[in-house]
Amino acid sequence: MQGNTVNYEELVPGYKFPPTSYELSTSLVAKYIQAVNSAADGFVPPLAITACVIAAMAGSFSLPPNTVAIHASQELEFLKLVPIGSTIECHTIVAQKVTRGKMSMLILELEIFDQDKEKVQSGKTTIALTT
Amino acid sequence: MLTEIQEGKTLNPVVKYITQEKINLYAEASGDFNPIHVDESFAAKTPFGGTIAHGMLNLAYVSEMMTSAFGQNWLSGGKLRAKFKEAARPGDTVTINGKIDCMEQKDDVSYADCSFECRNQKGEVIVAGEAIVKLSSDKR
Repeated sequence: MQGNTVNYEELVPGYKFPPTSYELSTSLVAKYIQAVNSAADGFVPPLAITACVIAAMAGSFSLPPNTVAIHASQELEFLKLVPIGSTIECHTIVAQKVTRGKMSMLILELEIFDQDKEKVQSGKTTIALTT
Repeated sequence: MLTEIQEGKTLNPVVKYITQEKINLYAEASGDFNPIHVDESFAAKTPFGGTIAHGMLNLAYVSEMMTSAFGQNWLSGGKLRAKFKEAARPGDTVTINGKIDCMEQKDDVSYADCSFECRNQKGEVIVAGEAIVKLSSDKR
């Protein structure tokens, strides 16, 4: 993971976050499995991948002062299982930004690829910012 | 896994008790330390009045139900759309229910179209959504 943060104001539709890579290590997956109390079967739970990607993405931009960011909705498609120990790469783009009164919504599209450049997951995340 | 995949079939529910400890564990596992989830004094000053569980934690419980019903077909052929409608808080018991609304056939592949809801102990809907599972040929 790497991370120069950008200001929320800079996130306009079409903005592409720098691609980020993650190693889905045994310890990372074990922590996730313990946290959600699920079973391990040699593959990374798809939502573990999404969770890491969203957390890193949310940490890559700074929020306006006195705002709280809340996950409002999520779309996901799981295309391929990823073995534990794999490295994935995530590409994220700002699809939409909507402001309604004190509420602002940021809609991000994600595409996640494995080390063979095959898409393993895609999704759309809506983050609501409220004061 | 479901022995019969057919329209109207109810999926086995998943019931979870939310604690701050579970939320903290999830924050560590995901790297999501948004203070609304983990900082009680910060969260107390927000409109939520206290910490709330990560939406993705609730979604993990939805995925547990879907995995239990559809196994690998869900994990590598599932699609979902979820709206986080209310917050789940420490002390809440959340129940995830789902059912197969219809079966579809497209280009010789079967799909199970499901709906799901996650409610708290007061009956309030926390997460609602739809999921589609692409079924492999042995499930047809």
